[in-house]
Amino acid sequence: MKVGKAMIEKLSNKDIRTLKYGAIGAVAIILFVFGSAGHERWTKAKANGAVLRTKLDTINVDKAKQAGLASIVPVFEMPQVEEEQKFLFRDKLSEQFKKAGIKNKPLQIQAGRKSPQAGYKLLLVKCNATCQFVQVLDFLARLNENPYLVGIEELKIKCDPKKQGEVALDLTVSTFAR
Amino acid sequence: MEIWQSIVAIVNDDNEFKGVELRKQGGSFEILWTRSSEESDADWRGFAAECGLSVEPTALEDSDSDRMVVAGFNTAGTIFHRTTVPAVEDKEIESIIELQAETRLPLPPEQIELAWRADQLRDGQMGVTIAVARKEQLQKFVGKVRCFKPAKILLNSEGIVKIWEVFFSGNKDNAVVLSTGSHNTQVCLVEEGRLSNAVVLDIGIEDFSTEVTEEQTETSERFAQDMRSVLDLFGCSNQGELPVFVLSDGSASYVSIVSSLRLAGLNARVATPALNGLMAKSELSDEDIYRYRTPIGLALTVFDAGADELNIFERLYNPMQKVVQRHWLYAPKVTIAIASIMLVLLIVVSYAVDIAGPNSIEKRLDASVSDVDMNLLVKRQQLIKTVARERPDLLDLLKVVNESGERGIKLTSLSFKKGQPVSISGEASSNDQLSRYEKNLQNSKGIEKVNYTANTNAKSKKITFTMTFHYKNFSSKTTRTKS
Repeated sequence: MKVGKAMIEKLSNKDIRTLKYGAIGAVAIILFVFGSAGHERWTKAKANGAVLRTKLDTINVDKAKQAGLASIVPVFEMPQVEEEQKFLFRDKLSEQFKKAGIKNKPLQIQAGRKSPQAGYKLLLVKCNATCQFVQVLDFLARLNENPYLVGIEELKIKCDPKKQGEVALDLTVSTFAR
Repeated sequence: MEIWQSIVAIVNDDNEFKGVELRKQGGSFEILWTRSSEESDADWRGFAAECGLSVEPTALEDSDSDRMVVAGFNTAGTIFHRTTVPAVEDKEIESIIELQAETRLPLPPEQIELAWRADQLRDGQMGVTIAVARKEQLQKFVGKVRCFKPAKILLNSEGIVKIWEVFFSGNKDNAVVLSTGSHNTQVCLVEEGRLSNAVVLDIGIEDFSTEVTEEQTETSERFAQDMRSVLDLFGCSNQGELPVFVLSDGSASYVSIVSSLRLAGLNARVATPALNGLMAKSELSDEDIYRYRTPIGLALTVFDAGADELNIFERLYNPMQKVVQRHWLYAPKVTIAIASIMLVLLIVVSYAVDIAGPNSIEKRLDASVSDVDMNLLVKRQQLIKTVARERPDLLDLLKVVNESGERGIKLTSLSFKKGQPVSISGEASSNDQLSRYEKNLQNSKGIEKVNYTANTNAKSKKITFTMTFHYKNFSSKTTRTKS
């Protein structure tokens, strides 16, 4: 301790000033090295945080909105590859026609318009049938129960003036495929 | 409360600076030194320096010192009042006193300083001693003594009463004490053992002599007359037995003062020092004790922990408050240091929150969502939202179309296609009916831009029509592209 004190006493003001600047420079270098690494880590963490928050915002829908969504889309299955999806969708659709008592003509698959969801194709299924108007209503009421259905693209109902209650139905519905 | 080993008291008494250092040891007191300065150009600063006190303005206060410095203020410019107040809280007493001071004193309140002290409660009333002085005079005094940073400034008359009580055998609760200087006499009224009034007369010991001359007789008579007036002022003129103590160093002059007072009918007596319990490094005579009576008395007042001093300088001089201000309000370095620490803390906390936040969210998600892939969940939710936007409620549309038409309107077809207006065809009985149908549709929720074309069948007189309208966002091409 005494030696150190004696050494400090020997230093001139200029020496002390130089030592001070040196110490400040050393601290600045250390701060820069660790600071830049820390800053990079911080920026990454902030970006990760923002992504996470966006994801959470997507999932975390309030109860009223969730109930609204559930009333429009009560069931939903994630889209499969095109061939499998075609099969599943057609199968379910045929079943729903059958349940409504509609004898439909063969279902035709068509290339769809531009998909509203990036990463998924939009497939259209067209069908024609002649049936009772009440059967159409029954079919439309149950259509939302199809877990592969995206939406109704086209619906034409035309009454047959000669046969009471009978209508010609042209329907085009869509589904997503990977 | 700090316990001081010794007290240094400095006064300017009888045109002379006097200082003593008094130490308390057990139940006795020891005078460590006495000093005086009779030089005509002497001032507080110079005398304080002579007494070994630091007078440099930049000098740091010796907080570790075990001695306390007090200064004495001559009460010549101080007026005392006695009043009684009912038994109320201290705050209420203060406002009563301030009110009385405003009404009784000739000066406006902003030009005066006052201090008060309440006595014991008797018969529901409390006697209060009020000391009042001009603010300007006190400020000037503070300016003079500030250089040696006294811890307290006390009234000299308090010191006189205290030394009479301790070293002049002052064992009476009520008395008048005379402290005679060269050319003036301090008259103090003691009630319940405490100073309650004080007056300075301009006759001193130099005006009395032991020889009986005509001039001397005249001085004695004038003094006796002045004393009667003072007692009258004190409200004691009817108390013939009230003892009047003349502090004395034992010389004959004081005896003549007492004699003149006795001749005037006052119960006067001489009080000489009784030095029981007082020690000194060098031998001190009765004359020395008498000479330094005021500073010794002030030091004794400070040692008396229970003494409720009349601090007339309370609002003008508070050395303890100054120290606090210097630390917090006038220390930019401390403020900057605190601000820097807070800034560093803010950065550290923000950094920690930003780093730890996402990690903890992910951990909680992992824990709650378990095996399900978070991304799959997000995709599913996004798809459901898209599907909800793509699904028209055609049952609802059919219901609206049906309910808007009256009896007589017969629909034959309906055509819905995304990106195109909805089209319906049918027959109506009259134009009015058709017009009402259009209006009803127009007023329906989700339906707008209703148009129709109609033809009348010449044979059946029926009107065939085709009506188009926009249904929610499904008929607009632009909306579809956006969605």
